[in-house]
Amino acid sequence: MTNAVTTPAVRFAPEHTSLCIEGLSLAYAGKPALDELTLDIPRHRITAFIGPSGCGKSTLLRALNRLHDLNPDVTRQGRIAFEGEDIHAAHTDVAELRRRIGMVFQAPNPFPMSIYENVAFGLRLQNRLKKRQRDDVIEWALRSAALWDEVKDRLHTSAWQLSGGQQQRLVIARTLAVKPDILLLDEPASALDPISTLKIEELMGDLKHQLTLVLVTHNMQQAARVSDYTAFVDHGRLIEYGTTDDIFTNPRLRRTENYITGRMN
Amino acid sequence: MDITRDVHSQHISRQFNQELEALKTHLMAMGGLVEKQLKEAIIALVEGDSKLAAYVRDNDEEVNALQLQLDNECTRILARRQPAASDLRLVLAVIRATSDLERIGDEASKIARNAITLNESNQAVRGLIEVRHISDHVRHMLRDALTAFARFDTQLAVSVVLEDELVDSEYSSAMRSLVTFMVEDARSLSSVLNVMWILRALERVGDHADNLAEHVVYLVKGMDIRHSDNDQLEQINDANR
Amino acid sequence: MNRKAAWHGLWPWLCAASVALSLLLLGLLLTLLLTRGLGHFWPAPLEAVTLTSGETFAGEVIREAELPDRSGQERLYFIGNRDNSAQDSHGTRFRWVSLDTILKREAPAQLVRLSRSPWGDFIGQLEAFEHSGQRLEDNAAWQALSQALAQPKNARPNARLTLRPLNGEAFIQPLAEVYRASRPNAMSWLSKVRYWADGVGRFLSQGPRAANTGGGVWPAIFGTVVMVIVMSVIVMPFGVLAAIYLNEIAQQHRFTRLVRIGVRNLAGVPSIVYGVFGLGAFVYGIGATVDEWFFSASLPSPTFGTGGLLWASLTLSLLTLPVVIVATEEGLARIPDAQREGAVALGATRLETLTRVVLPMAAPAMLTALILAVARAAGEVAPLMLVGVAKLAPQVPVDATFPYLHLERKFMHLGYHLFDTAFHGDSVQAAIPLVYATALLLVLIVLVLNLTAIFLRHYLRRKRATT
Repeated sequence: MTNAVTTPAVRFAPEHTSLCIEGLSLAYAGKPALDELTLDIPRHRITAFIGPSGCGKSTLLRALNRLHDLNPDVTRQGRIAFEGEDIHAAHTDVAELRRRIGMVFQAPNPFPMSIYENVAFGLRLQNRLKKRQRDDVIEWALRSAALWDEVKDRLHTSAWQLSGGQQQRLVIARTLAVKPDILLLDEPASALDPISTLKIEELMGDLKHQLTLVLVTHNMQQAARVSDYTAFVDHGRLIEYGTTDDIFTNPRLRRTENYITGRMN
Repeated sequence: MDITRDVHSQHISRQFNQELEALKTHLMAMGGLVEKQLKEAIIALVEGDSKLAAYVRDNDEEVNALQLQLDNECTRILARRQPAASDLRLVLAVIRATSDLERIGDEASKIARNAITLNESNQAVRGLIEVRHISDHVRHMLRDALTAFARFDTQLAVSVVLEDELVDSEYSSAMRSLVTFMVEDARSLSSVLNVMWILRALERVGDHADNLAEHVVYLVKGMDIRHSDNDQLEQINDANR
Repeated sequence: MNRKAAWHGLWPWLCAASVALSLLLLGLLLTLLLTRGLGHFWPAPLEAVTLTSGETFAGEVIREAELPDRSGQERLYFIGNRDNSAQDSHGTRFRWVSLDTILKREAPAQLVRLSRSPWGDFIGQLEAFEHSGQRLEDNAAWQALSQALAQPKNARPNARLTLRPLNGEAFIQPLAEVYRASRPNAMSWLSKVRYWADGVGRFLSQGPRAANTGGGVWPAIFGTVVMVIVMSVIVMPFGVLAAIYLNEIAQQHRFTRLVRIGVRNLAGVPSIVYGVFGLGAFVYGIGATVDEWFFSASLPSPTFGTGGLLWASLTLSLLTLPVVIVATEEGLARIPDAQREGAVALGATRLETLTRVVLPMAAPAMLTALILAVARAAGEVAPLMLVGVAKLAPQVPVDATFPYLHLERKFMHLGYHLFDTAFHGDSVQAAIPLVYATALLLVLIVLVLNLTAIFLRHYLRRKRATT
């Protein structure tokens, strides 16, 4: 099979779409990173993006909450609609958009503050809660991130004293505290040990009842374990997109097959 | 997506390639052994060779041992490699195929045991023509199913599945004629019953060969055709062309 | 092959040796400064020397040296008594004596050393203490003098002392001109220590005397510290803002790289160049204009049109600006982008990200920048000579009159004081110990400033890691 332009093999159309990506192309300083990507991300499901390093899956994730705005070298074409609204529309409040589309990064990045202050960070930005309400939200967020029992006695100690897995769950709690609709996870467990990884995966399964999750991962087993839908991206193109069951037992394209079974292309 | 025969030797991990290759080789070895068992059981029956029949009966142990070995290999690959897609389907198909092959082995030894009984009864055996006819057919099916497995040939596999229906109808007519024998000659009752057991065993072998062919389709196409009707099978073959 | 093997065995030793040499030299420097600087305040024993010529004089041994014209040694004495007309050359306070001309050396307990202003130290005998018609002699006189000096200056009796140098006529000395007295030969070890501590205290807390060859350095310490503080207040905001612009706001392309290289190279420009610039741009340029506009009443005598604290601080700010920018930028660059992105992904604006995440994390780097700037500024002399430092400033730049901080005043600076004492004093011999003491002080001030900042930085880091 050649790398020639092929129509991606898309085997399903979600019933409820949360994010709708249409013809998205992205380039770093003229170097193309994403090429005409079109797909819908279903609401309250876990959608995983897999693909080799540098295939553009993280780039795609960052495009979803407009993190690329920080980098003036990035040029973009195409449309991303979040709940029907174009996220690049002139009237879009980017800060509000990023609050609604939260993001968790590869390496845990808690701020150099106490655990409490980390979770309160996003709330303080909005600055509309009384202390009592804020405490409640923080407890709720930490409980949702399955971290409350481990840290409730040391909320005011530095977040940097937590283990890597706890830090990552703290970051998830921090993101949950501002009540996002979508949680983007950029290889959230790649720096963690297997037990912490399982905890994060378990957490993702719990969270999907509240929000839509989009996961980028190198770890195909992880995608297979946690996601409902899987998209295979290579060279900035969507190659195949379908239910995780289909992709991992019977992919339609040779390229997908080769990638997920560890074959040379 | 259909896979081809070389698909399991393209992994970046050569060790994995070797493991999957060994799996296929061992399955073919088991298939060859089972084929030989079946062939020799029929010969023992037709030629009244009790010694050969006893040998076939005892040799079933070897088939069982091979099944255990293959199951072990599959378990190890599942646990250590966590195969996906075509690799996963290969492992699953091999697990299922070993089970079917082991059953065929059982049927062969059953035929051998019945051959011994018939031989010891010293009576003229009726119905051997039907037996020979069906056994040729079934052995052909088994050989084709194994060939389809070895070559990842779904067309051949589908033809095996379709052939099984012929075997089934032949089996029914053979049974009817054997019932006629029993009615005609009450003394031949026990020997005819033995032949009926043998026919039943052969029919089962046909079913297992049919299963093997279905596993090949699952392996190659990722489709489960176990409970499909003829029209669907035709469609598969049409799609192949 | 053999040479190569030898080199392989040798090179770690070579490295270690160079470290050892550096440490040794640093140790020597500190030892020298400590012994000479602090030793100056130790009450040295006084000798009564009788020469073969029959002359007797009193003095403190300074050092010995080879005779210039023949073989043998000569010894340098500090004899003080500049007002003694009987001395060979009027006004000298030191005397070289060839060893072979010395007949006798004694250490009589009753020799006193008085510190006076004017005329400097007196070494000799205290004959009498006269106060309101009462005349006390010898030991009684010494006790009366000690008691009188123990009282605060304005409560001292209006007494008169009769002093007699060993080689001259007795004379009358008003007590008001005497501020310190000792009998080193009769002192116990403990009282010597007390006397030494008192001397150090006076050095630190009093103004200079006798054309900077005596007295203390308080105005210089004060001037240095005030100048450094004013400089920090000016340089830190500018430097930090510039670093933020370079690292956080500006696009990273060729021009920003060029600016960065430029800034780094500015740090290497000789400081005197900054001094010249400060003189031209600040003093003669801005200063003169300010005078014309706001202080024309007092012209032609300049207010801001001459060197002063503000111009000196500004010049040093300019000098240390590259250091601050580079150190701060380094700190900003070390903050992982993940932290910024984490904040942005929570809905923080660029400013919120900067103030709530980036700047708190860069605080230790900014402190490092401050340390470097302060260390550089506190030790700088050359540019200050052009833009506002004074040999002797009549007023310190901070006092109780409005506006309390007088930016236009000239001020004294330890570095310049050191330079001035060493080369411009009328008596080199008298200046040497003061030079060491001042140098030690300068080192200590820089050390204290640095240590404060280092502890602060350490505290910030620990606070972040634990609270």
